Amino acid sequence: MSADSQLAMVVGVGQPRRSVIEAAWRAIGPGVEVLSSDDGGPLSRTVKRIIDPLVLRLRSNPQYSTPVVAPETAAAMHDLIVGSGPQLRSAAAWFETLKLERRRQRIRTGNAQELYFPVCFELAVTKGSPAPQDYETASAVLADVHQGRDRTAIEVLNEYVDSPEVVTRLADQLDHSWCDVQASETATATVTGPFLAELGTVLGPASGHSASAARQRVWSAVIADATPYNLGALARIEKSELPWSIVRLGLSSAEPQRQPKISGGSDSDRPLDRSVVDRVRATLRRALDRDALPDIPLLCEEEVDRASAPWGLLSEDKQATLVAGIEVAVELAPLDRSVSSRYALAAQIQARLRKEAYVLHARRYLAEGGPIHPRQRQVVDDLAAYAQPYLSRLWARLHGRDVWQDPCDDVDEVRSLLEGVARSVSLDHRQRIKAMLELQVAG
Amino acid sequence: MRLVADSGLWSTGPVAEATPLVALLEVSGAVLSWTVDDPGDTATQITFTDLSSADWLWRVLGESGHVALASALGSAPTADEPRSIELAGVDIMPGSVDPLRRLAVGHWLRRWWPASRRDGIAGLDRALLDVEIALLTVGAQGYFFDDTLDSGVVELLAPHAPALIAHVRDGDPRILDLVRAGAGLADEVGIDDVGWPELHAALDDSSMTMSMPSGRRDDYALAAGAETGPSGKVRIARGAASMSWGAVPPGIFDAGEDTVDWSIEVVGTSVVAVVRAAVIGPDPATGVEVRLRSGAIGGSGVLDADGRATLPLVDGSQEPLTEPAAWDHDWSATLVIVGSQVSGETETRETRERVRRWARARLDRPANDAFLAEIVAAESEY
Repeated sequence: MSADSQLAMVVGVGQPRRSVIEAAWRAIGPGVEVLSSDDGGPLSRTVKRIIDPLVLRLRSNPQYSTPVVAPETAAAMHDLIVGSGPQLRSAAAWFETLKLERRRQRIRTGNAQELYFPVCFELAVTKGSPAPQDYETASAVLADVHQGRDRTAIEVLNEYVDSPEVVTRLADQLDHSWCDVQASETATATVTGPFLAELGTVLGPASGHSASAARQRVWSAVIADATPYNLGALARIEKSELPWSIVRLGLSSAEPQRQPKISGGSDSDRPLDRSVVDRVRATLRRALDRDALPDIPLLCEEEVDRASAPWGLLSEDKQATLVAGIEVAVELAPLDRSVSSRYALAAQIQARLRKEAYVLHARRYLAEGGPIHPRQRQVVDDLAAYAQPYLSRLWARLHGRDVWQDPCDDVDEVRSLLEGVARSVSLDHRQRIKAMLELQVAG
Repeated sequence: MRLVADSGLWSTGPVAEATPLVALLEVSGAVLSWTVDDPGDTATQITFTDLSSADWLWRVLGESGHVALASALGSAPTADEPRSIELAGVDIMPGSVDPLRRLAVGHWLRRWWPASRRDGIAGLDRALLDVEIALLTVGAQGYFFDDTLDSGVVELLAPHAPALIAHVRDGDPRILDLVRAGAGLADEVGIDDVGWPELHAALDDSSMTMSMPSGRRDDYALAAGAETGPSGKVRIARGAASMSWGAVPPGIFDAGEDTVDWSIEVVGTSVVAVVRAAVIGPDPATGVEVRLRSGAIGGSGVLDADGRATLPLVDGSQEPLTEPAAWDHDWSATLVIVGSQVSGETETRETRERVRRWARARLDRPANDAFLAEIVAAESEY
């Protein structure tokens, strides 16, 4: 063992959460085969679409979501899953019924597991097992899934904003709300300095429990600070002292930021350019549980206020998270080995991005640090301009959380959001680079 | 087990060789790599990109190993200090990574298989290989809780319906089994691309079509014909160069050595380099860059579909090269580079030869875990 190596004598306590789920799943016994993999454990999709959200209900039981769980938590999870055995068996029966119906109707679009699993569990809870020969329910469910509930909601939206009176009223509201947002008198660079120093703690090294508690305190202070609000307000002022260019960040097509429209009027897909109706449409498209949303008129009114708010986000924690994300984004460059980061979190993300770019290289999708075929040039250039897609996606996630009033007040959750966005943008980019090269295969 | 800090990430195990010898697989939260021709099963390297997403780790290290590793890295979360951590009693369980390694090799075969007419290494059937990889991916779905570069099966299957229909007509029972399994998977994951309804129909009555003549075409494009050039040309010098595999996409060029023939010719009043790279297909060489450098003289251009290019040459002062200067020049140290300009370490001829040796061995004695595409290639008596 070398001198700089450390012998870890840590004896971990607890159990990997996924192994807890697997053991509980096996304890359910027969009847859930269609939701299981060949080795008898649950399919990853079963975990993702049924167990986590509907059985363990991670949103209200965060203690079940840590990678390693304590023995008493493991026991509770085990009981919950085994206790849901009857519903899970019914859900499995529903899945078989829906799959038969899918085959009968020759539906070949959409991933059957992805689309049907949550519905199956819902049916199991509300109706129990499928009655024999109940083709009608199955066919109605498939119609609902495939023809889309979202289309109906979007049709309602379109009808609503078809009325000129509605649009005029919303436009008046927008004018007012927009003018209400003003940066405070003291919102100059002198205030931004200390704020960015605080962000340094939030985005700093992740080690140790005391450090983590300190980080949480600073994050709470950052959210309470008016700086993120003021920075967002400054983005609308000519010659403001904003530390970044919102055009270069890809958040807006114009500087200063322009007042958004109620509908139409912009070809730009930049987050701060989007019209109120486009923003509501995105909400409807994303929502899994549309019934929990306010009705369309209220949704539109809310969105007018949100579109007028600094950074296009209503709550302070989302505004602060976006500002933290901007500070991270400007340091990310997947293909650049030389980049060094001011923040430990950005350095960590950058290390992953470099590894992921290496995977492309090792698979002959990229030459060392550049395109392997001229056809990829555009995508590779996009990869270099990483901040823009990163911030677009972060903004969209924050917008969703703003609508659903999901808090961003937990610093660890915010950090993992910032990491998760990097991961999904990187995956998206790499899929495109891969697709560019595999385009021809069918020919 | 020893964890080593490597460029800001924690890694286990020995460092695998550089490309093209590394086979790797991107699973949730980690990248697994192996040296492709190293049969030892201790040689697995795991690099963690996000330990909390690596919810499969207990399958490989056992539950106590997973927990020990998580708590060791939990208290030393940045891969800077210390440089390494020794985890006593934690090891990869024998055999646990075999299916992952096989999948990694499958992905390697898609991208690096050294098909070469010159070296007599038959190409692999892309459709069969992709279907088998898609099925293995589904079998390993426990490692893909989060989507990764390697978790998708739709893009592996979607383009291949026409080729698979041709295979169904051939009626080889091993292939039929594979295609049937692939079609079942396609049904489930929702593939509605060109040819898939026809493939399902063909499978439904494959017993009837089995005796129909094969419509399958050879996956190789015909190589460019014999040397013919514009008549009346004067050749000043000629030579052959090798291509760096890592600088070009797969599925275009013959993977042999000295496959890039070049000659310096006088055409009319100008001096040009005529380059011809041996192609093997199925993809065309169109647009791939080619550069020639010989002392101060140079030229560049792009290949056509058949791997040919004519490069105008310029001298050190960027003036068109004159015929007398071309005759005076010593062309013996001429470099011809096809593809992207690879910076850093370039692969060596020896490395490529090592890959070919391994590929030939796979064809001569197909291993137990050989892919059907390899077995079919081995039987093709190329």
